[in-house]
Amino acid sequence: MQEEIILSDEEIAILQEIMNISFGKSAADLADVIDTHVVLSVPFIKIMQVHDLPTYFKDHVKEYKTISIVEQKFWGRFKGDALLVFSSGAGKELIKMLQHETSPGFESDPIDILERETLMEVGNILIGACIGKLAELLKDVVTYTPPMVVVERNYSDAITENRYDPSSTAIVLKTDFCFDKGGVSGFLFLITSKDSVTWMKEALRLFIEQYE
Amino acid sequence: MIRKILIVDDSPIARKMLKSCLPKDEGYEFHEAGDGREGFEKYKDIAPDLTFMDLTMPVMTGYEAIEAIISHDRNAVIIVVTADVQMKAIKTVMESGAYMVLKKPLKREDIQSALLKVKDTLQKA
Repeated sequence: MQEEIILSDEEIAILQEIMNISFGKSAADLADVIDTHVVLSVPFIKIMQVHDLPTYFKDHVKEYKTISIVEQKFWGRFKGDALLVFSSGAGKELIKMLQHETSPGFESDPIDILERETLMEVGNILIGACIGKLAELLKDVVTYTPPMVVVERNYSDAITENRYDPSSTAIVLKTDFCFDKGGVSGFLFLITSKDSVTWMKEALRLFIEQYE
Repeated sequence: MIRKILIVDDSPIARKMLKSCLPKDEGYEFHEAGDGREGFEKYKDIAPDLTFMDLTMPVMTGYEAIEAIISHDRNAVIIVVTADVQMKAIKTVMESGAYMVLKKPLKREDIQSALLKVKDTLQKA
């Protein structure tokens, strides 16, 4: 399907660089909290019809037997949905990495609660720092809903097909990551609607103007 | 003295941002590369006085390119310009022989003071 041209190639390149800087910040914030190094990749921007999103997600996560998702909605002038998708077993691996930080009370909790809370905490750091930095670079302020977590589900149970208005256009900012230990990997998807585009174009222009 | 500068970054915007932070009146000769491998090949061709290197790149990462360049020329002056500011990333590139690490997004003053430091080092060499 042909992409609707709502951002120019240069605007996409600027947004890509901003996403790169923003996810770099969140990886560093996470590395301060848990003993890991997050291996980063080149971010990717794609403009697509919302009804193509489920297939797009599925293509990315199909190699995972199950996935866990941390989701947060955010809104300012830049608004949308952040989906942090983790590979199978990520929650348990993250618990191991966080073990030295845990209190005795925390350790006594059942494993599924621990897993959910750990994913929520890690997700909160990665999503919050990334969107916060992105908003800061584009001179915006965003607020967030509390994170929602889905733990170890099949793709079709984890992502419902009717979650977005199928007639609209989405801008998807995607970055893959993997941790240097524990085999934890995944994707961060930021999905913003066409409603943010007018503001975004101006914000991107002002950002790059500093470097003209 | 710095005359030839090589900028290695897969993002044309990042290269443009970096160039805009460098003084215009110094007569620098700029060369650019879009990934680590191209950066290494250009390094061998032009022997730049100073190289700016991103880390997260396709084809060949900045980590690999730094190792290749340092193996080829142990006196290479490589400033890493990266969004990856994790301690392990910084430690790894410094151990590989990078001269210093600058964090994205760049600020003009960071570049200016880095250039002064490089000039001083080159003068003493």
